[in-house]
Amino acid sequence: MSVIKISNLTKTYKETQVPVHAVNGISLTIDRGEFTAIVGPSGCGKTTLMNMIGGLEVPTSGNVEINGVEISKLKSNELINYRLHNIGFIFQSYNLIPVLTAKENVEFIMQLQKKTKDKTEQRTVQLLQSVGLGNKINSKPNQMSGGEQQRVAVARALASKPQFVLADEPTANLDSKATSQLLDIMKNLNKEENITFLFATHDQRVVDKAKRVVTLEDGKVVSDKVII
Amino acid sequence: MLFKIAWRNIWRSKLRSTVVIFAITSGLVGGLGASAWMNGMAKQRVKNSFDYQIANIQLHNPNFAVNLDVKKTIDSVSQKIAAIKQIEGIKAVTERLKISGMASTANKNLGVTIIGVNPKREKEVFTLYKTIDAASGNFFNSQTKNGIVISKELAKKLKVKLHAKIVLTFQDFNGELTGAAFKIIGLFKTSDSNWDKSNVFVKNTNFRSILGVPANEYHEIDITLNDFEKAPEISKIIQQKFPKVLSEDWKQIDPYNSLLNNFMGVMMGVFMLIILGAMGFGLVNTMLMVILERIKELGMLMAIGLSKRKLFIIIMLETTMLSLVGAFIGELISMFLIRYFGAVGINLTSMQQGLESVGYSAITYPSLEFIRYVQITIMVIIIGVLASIYPAFKALKLNPAEALRTT
Repeated sequence: MSVIKISNLTKTYKETQVPVHAVNGISLTIDRGEFTAIVGPSGCGKTTLMNMIGGLEVPTSGNVEINGVEISKLKSNELINYRLHNIGFIFQSYNLIPVLTAKENVEFIMQLQKKTKDKTEQRTVQLLQSVGLGNKINSKPNQMSGGEQQRVAVARALASKPQFVLADEPTANLDSKATSQLLDIMKNLNKEENITFLFATHDQRVVDKAKRVVTLEDGKVVSDKVII
Repeated sequence: MLFKIAWRNIWRSKLRSTVVIFAITSGLVGGLGASAWMNGMAKQRVKNSFDYQIANIQLHNPNFAVNLDVKKTIDSVSQKIAAIKQIEGIKAVTERLKISGMASTANKNLGVTIIGVNPKREKEVFTLYKTIDAASGNFFNSQTKNGIVISKELAKKLKVKLHAKIVLTFQDFNGELTGAAFKIIGLFKTSDSNWDKSNVFVKNTNFRSILGVPANEYHEIDITLNDFEKAPEISKIIQQKFPKVLSEDWKQIDPYNSLLNNFMGVMMGVFMLIILGAMGFGLVNTMLMVILERIKELGMLMAIGLSKRKLFIIIMLETTMLSLVGAFIGELISMFLIRYFGAVGINLTSMQQGLESVGYSAITYPSLEFIRYVQITIMVIIIGVLASIYPAFKALKLNPAEALRTT
């Protein structure tokens, strides 16, 4: 069953004299439970594609359907609400709220979803334990290593029980040990809870763990391989 | 959680927030301090005029005020006073004879208003007697015949001292020019040197016989109230009771006092609005810096699903709380300083002559009603909300994808 369905998606930037076709007619379907890596050289359109899937950028043409909802047709406020309930984000530079503790960062998403305090607390602790941060619940981002911060970001991304998680270069700022720990955690979550992960990455270690690898070049899909 | 984020955000840049808080604090201390000082001066002036000069309500013959005509008296005064005392809110009542005359010594002649008083009742309404220190005599405590109480200022002008004699010349009830010698038994001093120079006090009993005013007739009835703010309504009641006399409250008798009383509130409002307005622009500038520094974070918040309304609330709360911290500290310091100087006074003796020539005391006691602090707090909240609008609007216009790309 497809979670994400992309049809003939294009994004053209016209800020320069020569228009730049960052994404040029991509069609793609991501099924529930996939662990997919989108790879390619810098400037090939990975982040632009991820942003359009996440509803952060509006396509020039084409559609992004998530569970049958065409998100480019949603109004700005509807889109924010849609992201809150359906998409989990993991960013390259962690992007946690620096003034909140690990626990509060994870709780914040659920509070935005107006979940009850009991449910919020229970799930937060459970999520932080599942990413191996049971002992860092009350630590602020500046008291944690990069790997730990990114694991909080994973917990935060999963807090809203999203349809899928978009991770843009999640391991780019991590050392190999932290990368390995993070990938193991995400892989386990994918396997045990059937959570869909979509990565944009340069990192071969991520590619090695992926079940499917989509390669982009000049805004187009040049290969789409399922790893058995 | 939005409160928590906004509050903790304030302390992310401690130096910047401290500078902003210090600016607000010093602005408020300056503004509130100056307002309290002006307010204290004005209040003191108004109080002095109640205590020494005009009381809260005065009754006259309607034609008396034109030129203090000795014949324009109020009759049946003792009955009127008895009736007035029955009205709720009346603290004390006294009657006066009051005419224009000339005070003369061997050295000089000066025009004065001669006020004939009943010392006992006068002391219930006016506290002029308290301004006479031990070395300067008293306010008709002794039985000296033809005693007179004048101001130190007038004594200086006339070049006379305590126990000296001065001659008062005036027109009597029959229109004849008459006069008498009086012995100075007391020297008073208020903070209004002009008023001091032009008023002298004698006993009604002595004065009436020289003046020839019929018994139970006086030129003025002075009334002091438990609450001076009720003067207009009580004056109306008295006017209805005695339609043949003119009843005036202190605002009508001395419009300048009324102006001072009302205008101080307006002046303070304008003054604080200017200070808070400047504070508002400072806040806008600070918050724009904050937005600029946190573009990426704001992009992340919008990406993960923070609505525009909640983003606006965070920025508004941060701005308002930042200004409220400054306001709170500023108000606390102001309150302490105003209480301290309100007790010990601010001494401007070097400017005494100038201040007293316009009716202000050289020692002023700053004062500020508690409601003013509440008003300032409300104004700070409003300014905080207003100052957050433009920065918040800038934040709301951010494109999350572009914001996330910033370094």
